[in-house]
Amino acid sequence: MNTSTTLQGPAKAPSEARHAAAPRCRPAWRAPLVVLALGALACALLPEQLGLMTRIFIAALFVLSLDLVVGVAGLATLGHAAVFGTGAYAAGIFALKVMPDPLAGLAIGIGAGGLLALASGAFLLRYQGFTFLMLTVAVAQIVLSLAQKARDWTGGDDGLSGFTVGPLLGHFAFDLEGRVAAFYALAVLVLMHYVARRLVDSPFGLAVRGIHENRARMAALGTPVYRRLLAMYAAAGAIAGAAGALSAQTNAIVGLDSLSFALSAEALVMLILGGAGRLSGALVGAVVFTLLHHTAASINPYHWLFVVGFMLMAVVLVSPAKAWGWLRRRVGAAS
Amino acid sequence: MTVLFNIAVDGLAYGMVLFVIAVGLSLTLGLMRFVNLSHCAFAMVGGYCAAFLVRQAQWNFWLAVPAAIIATAALGAVLEMLVLRHLYRRKELDQVLFTIGLSFFLIAATNALAGPQVQLIPLPPGLAGSVDLGFRTLPAQRLLVIGAGLAVAAGAAWIVARTRFGVWLRAAVDHSGTASSLGIPIRVVQCASFAAGAALAGFGGILGAELMPLEPYYALKYLVLVLVVVAVGGMGSIAGSLAAAVVLGVIETASKYLASDWGSLFFFLAMAALLAWRPDGLLKR
Amino acid sequence: MLFSRRALVRALAASSFVLAAAQAHAQSVKIGIVGPFSGPFAHYGALFKAAAEAYVAGQGGKLGGREVELIYRDTGGPNPAQAKGLVQELIVKDKVDYLGGFVFTPNALAVAPLIQQSQTPTVIFNAATSAITEKSDYFVRTGYTLWQVTVPLARWAAKQHIARVVTAVTDYGPGLDAEAAFKNEFARQGGTVVESIRMPIATTDFGPFVQRIKASGAQAVYTFLPGGPPNLGFIKAYNENGLARSGVRFLGTAETDEFDLQKFGDSAVGLTTAFHYSGAHDSAANKAFVAALKKQDPGAVANYASVGAWDGMYVIQKMIEATGGRKDGPKAIAAARALQWESPRGPVRIDGKTRHITQDVYLRQVEMVGGVAVNKEVESFGPQLDHGLAQ
Repeated sequence: MNTSTTLQGPAKAPSEARHAAAPRCRPAWRAPLVVLALGALACALLPEQLGLMTRIFIAALFVLSLDLVVGVAGLATLGHAAVFGTGAYAAGIFALKVMPDPLAGLAIGIGAGGLLALASGAFLLRYQGFTFLMLTVAVAQIVLSLAQKARDWTGGDDGLSGFTVGPLLGHFAFDLEGRVAAFYALAVLVLMHYVARRLVDSPFGLAVRGIHENRARMAALGTPVYRRLLAMYAAAGAIAGAAGALSAQTNAIVGLDSLSFALSAEALVMLILGGAGRLSGALVGAVVFTLLHHTAASINPYHWLFVVGFMLMAVVLVSPAKAWGWLRRRVGAAS
Repeated sequence: MTVLFNIAVDGLAYGMVLFVIAVGLSLTLGLMRFVNLSHCAFAMVGGYCAAFLVRQAQWNFWLAVPAAIIATAALGAVLEMLVLRHLYRRKELDQVLFTIGLSFFLIAATNALAGPQVQLIPLPPGLAGSVDLGFRTLPAQRLLVIGAGLAVAAGAAWIVARTRFGVWLRAAVDHSGTASSLGIPIRVVQCASFAAGAALAGFGGILGAELMPLEPYYALKYLVLVLVVVAVGGMGSIAGSLAAAVVLGVIETASKYLASDWGSLFFFLAMAALLAWRPDGLLKR
Repeated sequence: MLFSRRALVRALAASSFVLAAAQAHAQSVKIGIVGPFSGPFAHYGALFKAAAEAYVAGQGGKLGGREVELIYRDTGGPNPAQAKGLVQELIVKDKVDYLGGFVFTPNALAVAPLIQQSQTPTVIFNAATSAITEKSDYFVRTGYTLWQVTVPLARWAAKQHIARVVTAVTDYGPGLDAEAAFKNEFARQGGTVVESIRMPIATTDFGPFVQRIKASGAQAVYTFLPGGPPNLGFIKAYNENGLARSGVRFLGTAETDEFDLQKFGDSAVGLTTAFHYSGAHDSAANKAFVAALKKQDPGAVANYASVGAWDGMYVIQKMIEATGGRKDGPKAIAAARALQWESPRGPVRIDGKTRHITQDVYLRQVEMVGGVAVNKEVESFGPQLDHGLAQ
């Protein structure tokens, strides 16, 4: 069986079969470097829109983590906001009660997200399909209800505010224009993207992809399916927790909307729009959707939903791959 | 005690509304394997049509409600014929994306046509009053809801189990190729089922307008609740949806009476527990 | 890769559109109005817009001799992170001189550090939690606070020989503020609050809560709801379940808001509220306000939201006059502190210490006047401070 069809790289010549031990893919650092270059360029070109840039980077990181669960592991989830929000609240409470250092808060957010994913995944991954999907919704809503009840810790419906975030690396204070915030978010995004790429291109990642494609066959091959999925789910939870922590720190506020069903649904929409499974699709979907939302909403907030609804329906009916193919055939026929 | 009676009555009414809206989705999901996340949008359309007919066009309530239901069914049939049937073969995520897009579109259209305010459906004098049950007064509309819910359950079960259409439906779901070679008009069955589901959703939207106010975001706001009922009750099972809706409705109402500052926690805990216990549906073994 | 290139082009096009759309006038004073313009609370945004534009039109199109540019931003609902992002953009990109609006407490709290750092005077048209004005020196409020309108109500209830009250509030900041305000004052007057019911913010079916109120054995219910669909739902449940007949009086504040009042019809008659503004207030200033609002937008309603925006624009005008149209936060706030004027609601002044509006609070009852339901002012409690800050 030709396994290279599931990987990103083109088919390799037989002479390179001696490297068969490692999967053949593009080097893991290439895509993150492209993201870094584009992100830095965008920040340089639009110095007055750095708040928007930061929001885009955080959304991209969140959708990236969702891609690990939905695209790579094949587990459709509508409860991913739970790990995002947990990371956000953890980082916010840490900044409020313990210390305002952003990197320590980021670590706390990563840990909190990963732990919640591990705990909930242990329960959730016993189920599949529609049952799994609905249970993810239940878990997310339970976390939301608990956050609402624990008003003393989370601020409830008013949100967690009043914490200040200290200077990054002890030196770069978060400024009003958002320069430090934007580069901080971009750096974390690039780093996590690299980690995700390494994860997906590793034998572990291949095993998870295999489980996505055919669970029974992988089990027959002796892969501990449950353990692999749990590990991927926890890794995705950690990355989403990082995104949440970034959101808490750059906004200096955490609201209950970071745990909401609407956020999970929006992230899933962004992912499917950009194309699930390749990691780059997650980034593209997040960028396009957020920019579109921002532009359409500022022109006329009422009619933004027309635009996005129409776009979603169009993307499904006329999938971009087919459209591009049709275009190529037209151009090819003309020449 | 009074509290228990109150919980039972209010919970039953709430559960019935959920049932009527959810049963259409359960049938569409279970029998047609089509993930239709725009189901609540049809409920919204039904409610808005009824509100418009009674308020603006000054129709009689008892005429406006069937007319609104038929209009919703027609919308469902048209959408099914034009667009949705192309999606039956597609991946689930594609269906999710498309129907969410459709929901957004319908929300924006409703907002543009009717504005963002809550729409009230003025009840006829018979329904607007309250009924004195001795230990409490109950709005008459709630009694209608409970009655209508039971009627829908009975009607839907009878149609699926006892009529020719029901036989066609079950055959088409089991194996559409064989069914069509036996002469069953598959396209008609699919279109009619979808339209029926939309009609039920519209009816639920009208019945529930007191409990779940009609405003443009209705289509997404209550989607989670409806999906929960469908999941717990089991896709395609009418009795399961009824049982799930009533159980969950009673639990949600009980938490409002007894522990309202915990929000919907118990509802979702119950849902998770029930789903974990019976992943294929409450009444399926 | 091909798809991502196309998406990249789309992304760049979208961002250049954004750039192009940000053309600023050099001379005019820019005022950012932040509020909900979409979703279930969109009427607040529409009312802010109508009242603000009506005010500017009434002043001849200029405030303090300067052209004004009103920039509207939609927060959708209580969404603190989005509010913060929008305000950051308004301050950094659009370079606004003043901010106005704010319906929800979490949104106002979120922007406090931004306006403090940038020294942007911000007039709160509505958000009603007392603590907001303490979070930044640049907040001025022309709305109201829960303590301000609830304390006189509690006093009045005690005078009416109502001894047992049950409170039913929405379970969020302002709701808890309202509950604390009522309990505090009512206890001081010798009454007892027999039960404190908290209703989740997402509640649409108030039947169960109304049953609990009935079962509590109280003589009256004090309620606070966030405005919009919940108010409608609660009052309907109150009526449908026969609470008035059972002898449980209704004590509210913003629940009989003119925006929803006509929807209740006859069932609202007799409901008692204490509030700072009634559309039926009998004064020349109010009549002028109502007329100007109708002229600007026939669909707009004169209620606490639109009057909050109207008076907010007055304060901004005075601040522009004091600073000569230049952005000078401290000077503007100093000028605002000394303001005193006749508003459509009655005589008002900005409290020098708290920067919150001191205003007359009235006891009102709903009556039918000419077939239209109005909040008739029965009694005036006189000028009230923000009692919440005096705690």
